[in-house]
Amino acid sequence: MLTELSAYTNRWRQAPPAAKGLFSFCGMAAAFAAGSPRTALLVALILSAATILGAGVPVLRYLRVATPALLFLLASGLSLVVSLDFGGSTGGLSAHLAGAELPRIAQVSCRSLACLTALLFLALTTPLVDIVSLLRRCRLPDTLLDLMTLCYRTLFVMSEAVHETITAQSARLGYATFTLSLRSLGGLVANLSVQVWQRSQVLQLAALARNNDGALRFLGPDYPNPARAVSGAAVSGLLLIILAVTLP
Amino acid sequence: MISAILSLADVSYSYPDGTHALSSCSLTIRRGARTAVLGANGAGKTTMFLHLNGILRPSAGQLQWEGTPLDYSRNGLRMLRSRVGLVFQNPDSQLFSASVREDVSFGPMNLGLTDKNVRERVEEALHAVGMTEAADKPVHNLSYGQKKRVCIAGVLAMKPEIIVLDEPMAGLDATMQEEFTAVLERLHGSGITIVVATHDLDFAYGWADQAIVMRAGRVLAHGAPREVLLQKDVQDELGAVPLVAEISRQLSLLGIDLRDNGYLPRSKGELLKAITAHTRQENRP
Ligand SMILES: Nc1ncnc2c1ncn2[C@@H]1O[C@H](COP(=O)(O)OP(=O)(O)OP(=O)(O)O)[C@@H](O)[C@H]1O
Ligand SMILES: [Mg+2]
Repeated sequence: MLTELSAYTNRWRQAPPAAKGLFSFCGMAAAFAAGSPRTALLVALILSAATILGAGVPVLRYLRVATPALLFLLASGLSLVVSLDFGGSTGGLSAHLAGAELPRIAQVSCRSLACLTALLFLALTTPLVDIVSLLRRCRLPDTLLDLMTLCYRTLFVMSEAVHETITAQSARLGYATFTLSLRSLGGLVANLSVQVWQRSQVLQLAALARNNDGALRFLGPDYPNPARAVSGAAVSGLLLIILAVTLP
Repeated sequence: MISAILSLADVSYSYPDGTHALSSCSLTIRRGARTAVLGANGAGKTTMFLHLNGILRPSAGQLQWEGTPLDYSRNGLRMLRSRVGLVFQNPDSQLFSASVREDVSFGPMNLGLTDKNVRERVEEALHAVGMTEAADKPVHNLSYGQKKRVCIAGVLAMKPEIIVLDEPMAGLDATMQEEFTAVLERLHGSGITIVVATHDLDFAYGWADQAIVMRAGRVLAHGAPREVLLQKDVQDELGAVPLVAEISRQLSLLGIDLRDNGYLPRSKGELLKAITAHTRQENRP
């Protein structure tokens, strides 16, 4: 979990999530406001610089986290540029370059890139726990946030369970041949479903034991100087938007 | 006069699938005592614990808080659960927030305290189990022993009168076990009644003031560890005797009396001390 690692170890870990969320939000607004691909690229550059230089996320890790999304962006950009045509007038397979559309495609791709860097900024500097507590303060429905918390926690519990089950299966040659692998995989899935069910039951008992009666309530973290950080984020975020709006 | 804080009177319970997990189980937990609950796998320890906190309701018989029957209304359960803290055997089944501090805040938040109050309790509880340093860590990066401490802190933050721990020592290395015993000792020192389910006879013998041995959903024996754990039927049930007791007995057969003020040693430390003292006496001219 590279995102996880950065979120807990970056330089801005102790900054209030409200500030980081606000800056990320302004980044996205700037991405939409950008009038040309060049401006959008500039916004993306500034946002990634903030993440790498400001929050001190190592460049390599940043690239590794960004790569899957970038590949996805590239693929969708290319599929917009090149359109395949079956049949049509000639009856064969033909590829068209979308010539007239190119500026718009460039615009969309660069904006997406800028949005991506804005989201990466938040994901790499702020642990999910903090994001959830921020969303809670923004009055998002409790049920949704409880689900997020539980899913996130369950992710780790389950990944451990998967790991252990696979190890146990391999130890008894469960994956020695292809057929055996299929069988073991089936066993793994069946076993996991039971485990998920049992664990959710025990979790509920544990919640009851601590006097829970519905919504999961936690204490939000406390941050030094929240006002200063938030106003700092607001000012720099606004500057970013103004930059995006005024540049051609 | 020793006062009962919680007691079970002829409690029976069957799981929905028909397993009779408790049958006419009667026992008393004394205020301020250290109670060890022993019994083979499946004897009903965990089921009994779930009753103490009102999570399971007896199908027959009743539980009493200081002599009055438990009130299973919403408010009654609220009171009970804020007084009886339950620590589960598997920490992963109890921790459901991703961050340590957040998870510990869960119980006090449920009690409806103010944020400031909750914050104080969380810090206090984390301090009591020695986890202040790890407070901002995500739960999944903690070691097993640390997770167990966080579970205790989560219960401690509710300021219960009793803490009930289901096999707290299982899965801990020797050092962690020792530290854990120290944590329990501190809690006990601060006036909290402690109940522990354990398979560790030696620990029960050395630590507890009161031992309860269960077999097949009933109480087989109930009393001071130095008596209960040496009973013949208990030995047969648990398949062993506390090592320290056995060594003292063997030595006394050899004519070496380790009694100090009439008491035999209860822990390894006491045994070693008694042997040293004895040898010194022998060597005196
Ligand atoms: N959810 C359940 N559904 C059905 N039967 C159960 C359930 N939980 C426990 N039992 C059964 O109830 C009996 C008592 O189980 P319990 O978990 O209380 O024992 P225990 O003394 O805690 O054992 P261990 O030392 O293994 O933890 C066992 O026979 C067990 O199989
Ligand atoms: Mg048990």
